[in-house]
Amino acid sequence: MSKIVASGVVKRYGEKEVLHGIDLELEQGKIYGLIGRNGAGKTTLLSILSSQNPATEGTVTVEVSPDDARPDGLQGKSSGAGNGSNIVKMRPLSAVVREPVWENPKALSHLCFSRELNQMVGNSANTMKVKEYLKIASLFLPHWNQKMADHLVAEFGLDTKKKISKLSKGMLSMVTIVVALASGAEFTFLDEPVAGLDVVAREKFYQLLLEEFTETGRTFVISTHIIEEAADIFEEVILLDEGKILLKENLEELLERAWCVSGREDEVDRATAGYTQYHAERLGHSKSVTILEPKPDDAGKNERQNAASIQMRFARNAAVTVQKVSLQKLFVALCGEEH
Amino acid sequence: MNEILSQEKSIYIQIKEMIENDILRDILLEEERVPSTNELAKAYSINPATAAKGVNLLVDEGILYKKRGIGMFVQSGAKKKIMEKRKKNFYDDYVKRLMAEAASLGITREELIMMIQEDGAEGNPYTKENNKAAG
Repeated sequence: MSKIVASGVVKRYGEKEVLHGIDLELEQGKIYGLIGRNGAGKTTLLSILSSQNPATEGTVTVEVSPDDARPDGLQGKSSGAGNGSNIVKMRPLSAVVREPVWENPKALSHLCFSRELNQMVGNSANTMKVKEYLKIASLFLPHWNQKMADHLVAEFGLDTKKKISKLSKGMLSMVTIVVALASGAEFTFLDEPVAGLDVVAREKFYQLLLEEFTETGRTFVISTHIIEEAADIFEEVILLDEGKILLKENLEELLERAWCVSGREDEVDRATAGYTQYHAERLGHSKSVTILEPKPDDAGKNERQNAASIQMRFARNAAVTVQKVSLQKLFVALCGEEH
Repeated sequence: MNEILSQEKSIYIQIKEMIENDILRDILLEEERVPSTNELAKAYSINPATAAKGVNLLVDEGILYKKRGIGMFVQSGAKKKIMEKRKKNFYDDYVKRLMAEAASLGITREELIMMIQEDGAEGNPYTKENNKAAG
């Protein structure tokens, strides 16, 4: 499996449409960050991509090659770490076949969506023990790695004899992390894996994730609200806003074209003329705005090369200050406005 | 390479500069192996592709070179190369900014030169001068 492709995915619950035509491609060997506000549709999207929930319209397919006969699903895959020492087998384009994910056992065996876990099941307490929950996960996930599950349980200091209803929010998150990492699935989705975890446990999670990623090159999609500290581990970011994909881009490239410009209001307006001003904030005569340069491939190539980056252009204009923007700030600027 | 990553610059640039700094300070010696992108990724909790981007820039500049299957190594002559490059940028990176700030404070060229000449001898020459004028 080299790719998951969603096209035109719409999801309606009764009258309410929560996803409005999602087109998305997830490539093998990357860590994606899925960010969006509460109710943006992140969990719904992940559940549809993993066939735990049917789409109202549209399709989710995987790209596979017919000669895809890897016994463990991961052999010969590039580690995704960019060391250049891995041999990537080139296959003729015609050999790529798209198969639907829905009710496709082969595709599903390589997908894992580790959902947020609750103390309750419906209206009653979830009295299942942690070890029983992990046992069930191991039965449903054909590439399950029990050794890793045991290791992670020890790392987090989880008591597997505890009932799920007795776990704290952080411990519930740990269980979902154990399932996701031990699943061995080529495509693994984690929904809010660090919710409720203390800062030491969060750091541990990022380390464990990077360890698994550098060793196997599995693809991870991670939804999170703790953007600032998770941002560095993402290669690409998917920004979901009110059921639509606002952007999907390499994180470094995105942040290289985002700037915060501040100074006296008229100077800021002059310097940013022609750009959409996001998240304008005023304080007396001063103003700060966030702007996004066009993608390099949108503008003409020569034009791009001639015009030095915007920061250089602005730096000559000493009247305004130009600063880099963090992913969190950019997210607030793009999605924070009331529509 | 134990610096803390900041928000001010792209991470791959910071990784690149950290390796350069370590070479300048003889922490990384020529012909020595540098940490792999995976090691860098884990050490800084960053995506390996980001670390690779910084390392690859240094390969392009001839600071590092790749030994197939073993890893990245510091090219001999790398330290000299980095010093030359940074000297070339010194005017733009430091002197221009210094002069711009001096101009906005009304510090004359002569005063600036005096500060540089007397630096280290008896503290801040400018405040000393001012105190004299005031007293």
